[in-house]
Amino acid sequence: MSMLHEIQRTRAVPTGIGLGLRARFIEQVDAGKADGGPAFLELSPENYMHRGGRNPARLARIAERFPIITHGLMMSLGGPDPFDDDYFGFLRDFLDHYDPPWHSDHVCWSGQGGTLLHDLLPLPFTTAVAKRVASRVREARDRLERPMAVENISWYMRLGHGEHDEPEFLTEVLERAECGLLLDVNNVFVNAHNHGFDPYAWLERIPLDRVLQLHIAGHEPWDESLVVDTHGETVRDEVYELMAWVIERIGPRPVLLERDSNIPPLSELLTEIQRLDATYQEAVGRWQGRSAAQGPAAAISPAQEIGSHGV
Amino acid sequence: MASEPLVLEAPTAALAAVIREQGAGPRMREDLGTYLRAHGVEGDDLQAMLDVGAERMLVYRQLVHNRFRNTTRDFIPRTLARLGKARYHQDMDAFLEEHAAHSPYLRDLPAEFVEWVLPRWADDPEVPSYLCDLARHELLDLDVRNDWRGGEEPTGLPLALDRPLRFDGAVRMVEYDHAVQRLTKAVDDRTVPDAEPTRLLVYRDAEHRPRYLLLTPFAYALCRALVLDGLAVQPGLMAACEALGEPLDDDKLASAATLFADLMDRGVCLGAEPD
Repeated sequence: MSMLHEIQRTRAVPTGIGLGLRARFIEQVDAGKADGGPAFLELSPENYMHRGGRNPARLARIAERFPIITHGLMMSLGGPDPFDDDYFGFLRDFLDHYDPPWHSDHVCWSGQGGTLLHDLLPLPFTTAVAKRVASRVREARDRLERPMAVENISWYMRLGHGEHDEPEFLTEVLERAECGLLLDVNNVFVNAHNHGFDPYAWLERIPLDRVLQLHIAGHEPWDESLVVDTHGETVRDEVYELMAWVIERIGPRPVLLERDSNIPPLSELLTEIQRLDATYQEAVGRWQGRSAAQGPAAAISPAQEIGSHGV
Repeated sequence: MASEPLVLEAPTAALAAVIREQGAGPRMREDLGTYLRAHGVEGDDLQAMLDVGAERMLVYRQLVHNRFRNTTRDFIPRTLARLGKARYHQDMDAFLEEHAAHSPYLRDLPAEFVEWVLPRWADDPEVPSYLCDLARHELLDLDVRNDWRGGEEPTGLPLALDRPLRFDGAVRMVEYDHAVQRLTKAVDDRTVPDAEPTRLLVYRDAEHRPRYLLLTPFAYALCRALVLDGLAVQPGLMAACEALGEPLDDDKLASAATLFADLMDRGVCLGAEPD
């Protein structure tokens, strides 16, 4: 049984194409301008927790219109500093209020020695670091009393020698932490482009049965040899194809469209969601066909579907 | 159970230095090996990072610096336009090296930067003397708009001389040496504000918008005694007069009554504190 199906035993999980809630269009969402569009909204608690004014009531109204999934930015799961008790206290209160099926953050570090750099910085791909990340993911899960997922990041340089490559490192983190994976297929694409590997070969080496959610986004060139995960462009066809490849193998999941810069009008984002949904639904159809061909057990358990392809 | 503090591995600590240290770029470009060894990177890690090269490592420096600069500029655009780009980048570079952020909330970053940089600007004759006031004033909007407190219910108790008053949690009181609140919102405006002692009470209205009240010296001293020091009304009146070196007379009592009525009407004062 996949990790998603274990969670679905006790929690409602939205599937389909969702949208990352941003300040740029939150008023329109509150006014109902996105109704019938995204299957869910994802929000970053750090943008709302411990914050008053118009935000709490507005967010409460929005949460009545859409299922909510949360995705954090500042847990610094690979960092060396002890977790901040205040941060976790506010985060737990926030999550208890909105009750998302899980909470996620990134496999990265964001600060050290009490200072924070507000970015998703790469980690050395070593067993020692994987153990540290896994230990902190388990601690976060225990503190929040909620399932945790971790996201693969875009990394622009390999940090040190390391004894693993990224799929090995990520798998070690996931298995040691016994957590879910928030699979960002744009980050897979960006890393494949920047470091010269096959994104499909990468996907075949990670435990897809742990995928709880996908992220999909656009990226932009930094120079001739580097693209950066800016979430500042529409999603490229190649990234659509990666998303479809994964959904075809694991079945319905929440897939989140991220847009953080060059944010277009909400209507354009809703059109992009429609395009993504068409691709998503086709992939789900292919997954259903595969599952039906393999019998009732496979249709119930995407993990068996994945296993049948040797992943 | 709290996590144990851990020692960061050398490549990670070196990347932190690449991002934070002033002058890291030129030193890395001159001799990357020396730079990395100085930060404890050795052996296979050193070779791997030499293979990456300085320019790719410096991408992270640029990404972090851009985020810090752009986020802060979003919240104090007029102050930074007047400061000038070169000086702003120099100050932000120093901020990242000496302090960086400590709050997990990105929206707190501009306030962290301003708190750190104000003493430096105040001591620097090259920085216009009003700029500290303008920076604080621009931040007030963000601060009051987002304060997690505010909007509390009235206590339902009438004012009484022997009781403190309860105020809305998002109220702020500020003093400036310049009338920066009169400047236009235009980023390209370079009007120099009047050097004029200015006292404001700032609160959030029912529509969650920050509102600014210009206070007389007596009203400010009284509000300060009541809001910040939490004194009961009568001692507050006495303290305000003492601070101004003036007697408590009928004019002052009338002025205080008008002020209290106005603050009650605006939802700033929520009534007398219950027992």
